[in-house]
Amino acid sequence: MNDATPVIAAKNVWKLFGPQPEKYLAGMEPGRSFEDIRADGYIAGVKDVSISLTRGEMLVIMGLSGSGKSTLVRCFSRLHDITGGTVEVEGQNIMALTERELIDLRRSKMGMVFQSFGLLPHRTVLENVAFPLEMRGQDRHTRRERALEMIRLVGLDGREEYFPRELSGGQQQRVGIARSLAIEPDIWFLDEPFSALDPLIRREMQDEFLRLQGMLGKSIAFITHDFDEALRLADRIAIMRNGAVEQCDTPDKIVLNPATEYVFKFTEDIDKARVVRARGLMQPLNGASPEGAPVDGMATIQALARDLVNDPREVIPVAGQDGAVAGQMKRQAALDILLGTR
Amino acid sequence: MAVASTDYAVQKTVELSLRNRVLWAMLGTALLLMLCRALGILPEWLIRLPEWAIPPSDIWLDAAFSFVQNDLGLIHVTRFVAEGPLEFLLDATANLLYGKRRWPDLGPIPWTAIAAAAAVIGYYLGGWRMSLLAGGTFVWTALIGQWEIAMQTMSVLTVAAPIAFLTGLGLGILAWKYAWFDKAIKPVLSVLQTLPFFTYLLPAVIFFKVGPTAGAVATIVYAIPPMILMTTLGLKKVSTEVVEAGHMSGCTRWQMLTRVYIPTARTEILVGVNQVIMLCLAMVVLTAFIGMPGLGAKLLAMMGSFKLGRSFEIGVTIVLLAIMLDRLSKAWVVKQPEHFERGTPWWQRHIFLLFTIGAFAVFVALAQVIQVFSEIGRTQHFSRGKEIDGIIKAALDIDMVQATTEWLRWFLNVNVLIPFRNSMLWVPTPAFILLVVAFAYWLGGRRPALYATVFFTIVAFSGWWDRSVITLYTVISAVIMATLIGIPLGIFAARSEKWSRRILLACDTAQTFPSFIYLIPAIMLFGVNDVAVVFSILIFSMVPLTRYTIEGLRTVPPEMTEAADMSGASRRQKLLSVQLPLALPTMAVGFNQAIMFAFFMVIIAAFIGTQDLGQELQRTLAGTELGKNFVLGMNVSLMALTFDLTILSWAEKRKKALGLA
Amino acid sequence: MKATHTLAAAALALGGTGAYAQDSSDPIIIPIHNWSSQIVMSHAVGQIYEDMGLNVEFVTTDSQAVYESVRLGDVTLELEVWEGAFGASYRAALAKGGMVDAGEHDAVTREDWWYPMWTKEACPGLPDWEALNDCAHLFTTAETGDKGRYLDGPVDWLKHGKERAEALGLNYVVINAGSAAALWAEIGAAEADKRPVLVFNWTPNFAEAVWPGEFVEFPAWEDGCDKDPAKGPNPDALYDCGNPATGYLRKVAHHEMTVKWPSAYCVLSNINFNNAQIAQMAKFVDTDEMEAEDAAAKWLGENEGVWQPWVTACTS
Repeated sequence: MNDATPVIAAKNVWKLFGPQPEKYLAGMEPGRSFEDIRADGYIAGVKDVSISLTRGEMLVIMGLSGSGKSTLVRCFSRLHDITGGTVEVEGQNIMALTERELIDLRRSKMGMVFQSFGLLPHRTVLENVAFPLEMRGQDRHTRRERALEMIRLVGLDGREEYFPRELSGGQQQRVGIARSLAIEPDIWFLDEPFSALDPLIRREMQDEFLRLQGMLGKSIAFITHDFDEALRLADRIAIMRNGAVEQCDTPDKIVLNPATEYVFKFTEDIDKARVVRARGLMQPLNGASPEGAPVDGMATIQALARDLVNDPREVIPVAGQDGAVAGQMKRQAALDILLGTR
Repeated sequence: MAVASTDYAVQKTVELSLRNRVLWAMLGTALLLMLCRALGILPEWLIRLPEWAIPPSDIWLDAAFSFVQNDLGLIHVTRFVAEGPLEFLLDATANLLYGKRRWPDLGPIPWTAIAAAAAVIGYYLGGWRMSLLAGGTFVWTALIGQWEIAMQTMSVLTVAAPIAFLTGLGLGILAWKYAWFDKAIKPVLSVLQTLPFFTYLLPAVIFFKVGPTAGAVATIVYAIPPMILMTTLGLKKVSTEVVEAGHMSGCTRWQMLTRVYIPTARTEILVGVNQVIMLCLAMVVLTAFIGMPGLGAKLLAMMGSFKLGRSFEIGVTIVLLAIMLDRLSKAWVVKQPEHFERGTPWWQRHIFLLFTIGAFAVFVALAQVIQVFSEIGRTQHFSRGKEIDGIIKAALDIDMVQATTEWLRWFLNVNVLIPFRNSMLWVPTPAFILLVVAFAYWLGGRRPALYATVFFTIVAFSGWWDRSVITLYTVISAVIMATLIGIPLGIFAARSEKWSRRILLACDTAQTFPSFIYLIPAIMLFGVNDVAVVFSILIFSMVPLTRYTIEGLRTVPPEMTEAADMSGASRRQKLLSVQLPLALPTMAVGFNQAIMFAFFMVIIAAFIGTQDLGQELQRTLAGTELGKNFVLGMNVSLMALTFDLTILSWAEKRKKALGLA
Repeated sequence: MKATHTLAAAALALGGTGAYAQDSSDPIIIPIHNWSSQIVMSHAVGQIYEDMGLNVEFVTTDSQAVYESVRLGDVTLELEVWEGAFGASYRAALAKGGMVDAGEHDAVTREDWWYPMWTKEACPGLPDWEALNDCAHLFTTAETGDKGRYLDGPVDWLKHGKERAEALGLNYVVINAGSAAALWAEIGAAEADKRPVLVFNWTPNFAEAVWPGEFVEFPAWEDGCDKDPAKGPNPDALYDCGNPATGYLRKVAHHEMTVKWPSAYCVLSNINFNNAQIAQMAKFVDTDEMEAEDAAAKWLGENEGVWQPWVTACTS
């Protein structure tokens, strides 16, 4: 296993709900649609999904309720047993693990944050955060130290002895986050962590989350039904519908080239200038050398708006992450996005 | 879509017409049978099952019991339990609470120490009011001169309740974990919950030796079912996210159960504890019938020598104990853990524990010096039995009361009850069963109808048909009258918060009075006849009707009543067209409970004098006819279950239709 | 508390060694039922045994089921076996074995149709049974129509009130009460306006003290009246006589008592109460509102001359 091995690799994963899913799947003729399957008395929670999560990447899985996004992520950690296909976590087929091995995997490598927090009501903040450590049998002192550290990390110092019901929603979710990080997981699952929060708090928590991720650099599978949130956070977005992935790509590409009608509907009302970055419009140089100072490839078009409007150049060089010119973009294309004509 | 909905409508109409046809067929046949009987052309064997057709089920059962008891040697096991661990525990609590000379030979604990500790615990759980209730109950018990008998009752309770709790918890976990076990245990629980308590008592005596052990066993068995149900309910309700959080934290199965499921289901489990305590107390009092000493036995003795005042005082003690245990355990249910700031010293975290121990120790010490703090004499210090006697008798003697009861007695007996009973007895057995089945089908649907058929057929073949019909007649009469009084009362009370509270408190009190205490006033008001029987049942079964009417009306979503107000509905219109229809499913649950309570009370009413199953059951208590006792108990249970299934099935459907589920 | 107990126990133990040493130190288990005289008598006897240095324990039991318990040894003895009420259970248990008869009290028991004194004012022909038909109208109620009403004991007491009413051509409806308490409630309710009532009752009983009354005098009991139609005034019917006016009141014990607690058994067989003594004990509790233990102690204190000989007779 090396860095190139995806942290999670799912191949042709199926998750069917119904009386005898395995038998049904084995005998099912290929190409049956979600509705066909439902007519047969089964629900396709996850329908033939192949997707992978690379190291250090933030993959956002986006979809409306019932689209199968939560189910898919639960297949990654084997909270759900899959019906067909394979899921490999760091090269290990998790369906082949024994109960003991699975528990060990979760105890050492995985953390998860839940929409309604999933805190244990009878335990204090400290005890909740220390819970996974307690489960794996760490001694009282170590787990207390570690839990306190996590609590500080999420900014809840001074609330260690509170019970979950004494905290606001945002604070409870901070506890959830601290708990999921307590064991220093490599893989971090977040199931709509901010959906239950007020819009203002949600924004604040997103910033907080980006800050944490900046520090920790985990491999993340993040679920949301909020397209804005997805665009804001994701390295890649997988848009799901009826158990299947409609499109999986970077935010720019999804906004610029929606693969299906369904994806298009999401992107329609989005202010693309805030999403699309210069690198998204970048074309290869092909030997040309556009003049003048390059713009930052990671800057959004909106951020470049003033410059773009005033810039006389038709073609503007774009800098890559190292600062060197990596490509060029047409000013008109950028202006089109800025004005929403495209 | 359009096509589908038409299909659905057609299908629905077909179902309806089929339903009606079946219904009419049943009613028609029943009517035909009755007509034939009226014309005198119905053969005898269709009026009542002939003797030879009735299997001697009681004898078979006796043989079966005797086989299990003697040949399989079960009696040795049960007797071992009774004389071994159970008796040991009972003796230990008996020693601590009232000084029975047994291990650990420390008791009796001074009453002041118990009262003081209870007061502190009460304060911890619910502030001053609860403290006063908890401490005050024990002080009252001591001062009224009932300390020792109350402690006899409590000593059994303190053994029975924890055992019932643990057993119920264990079985509840099994039922939640294994679907097959759940399926297997459900019907058993239903039967256990409807079985008359006399049927718990006799086997307990035979298998577990007369006295406290048998009483404890009957009490434990009686209290287990709700604990099982609440445990399963609580465990099922644990949110999937909490469960997943547990899994993701790497819990093993055992850790999942003990650290995630059970603590998270705390509320339901504690509600189960509350029910266990209440049922245990109710049953411990009733076990007086098989010779369990304590408040119940004393009450029976007082009633047996016509001491109304003393009986009443004992009743009050029982009510106080019940209300105290109920409120304390409920306070415990809602009591959420409080957090302490970091660095709070140990003693401050456990301040209440220390106070409890302190108060206890202080009074134990004081009691060594001051005799009256230790044991309050048997001469009842503040008992006012005789005076209360006088008041009760005087109240019953008021001319108005006499005239009213006299008229009621005449009117109900001659014009209502006796004709009703005679006509029910007149109906030929098959027609009777058909009528019941038709009722179950009309109200509950196919499944209840099926159960009604099977259950009532079993009753018919049990050989106790007439007595079963009389039991049913008493229950129906009482429930109808309870409905006529209880529902208007509930509607009235639901109009204001204040009255709701008052009436609910009255309901609580009426329900916690030991059921048989109502028998004496009933007789004194109406004499030994069916009116007294119906009256004593009525008091008891009115309680759930009123309670659920209030609850149903008060939980109608406010936007509905607001919508009615804005539509210009008058108070009456609002009640009739909005509130009552929406409250009906909830009220149905109350109605169902009323019937269950009536089936419970009708058995106790045998002490007034009836000719129903209760009377026969009461007779079996004195003997060893286990088979007969069981057959009679099953009859009561089967009839009760028929109604239970039918009404609950209706309420369920109705709730779904109204989108309230 | 503990100290006093231990002391008391030690004192008792000391007193007990000597005369009654051959008796086991296991507790003698005395059953308690739900009527006063039995409770007081049981406590009185219990206190006598404790005086002898024996251990005693009381258990509350059903008064019919107790015979099975005596037979099995779950309880050691029973002090009040009423001929009329418990004769059948007693005979059944005796036949099965395990129980021994410890003799009769002097007290006689009687159970029959009974009325409180005020009834006699309305129907002066009483207590003769032949007056009953003339007075039937006094005892009518809403549900009995023009017939009189007689409230019999619970069905399981097997008092055959219905049969007797038929056999003697009485114009009465016989209704069974469900319990003794129901009988008292009926009398208590009638007491207020002195309404005539006819109920089942027995002696010795606390009710005599509360409501003075008399038994109806039926044709005198003849042996076989319940088996042979020829006996009694109606040649074609059973139960056409009154109940025996002098039924026995006896004591029984578990058979092992004779060997396990020989002195206690000896005392038991000597124990002998008469009607007046029983009535007095019941009165302490029923009218003077004393607790049974205190009533027993008081009675023993006042009647040493009565019970001491029962004990001393067993020491020699």
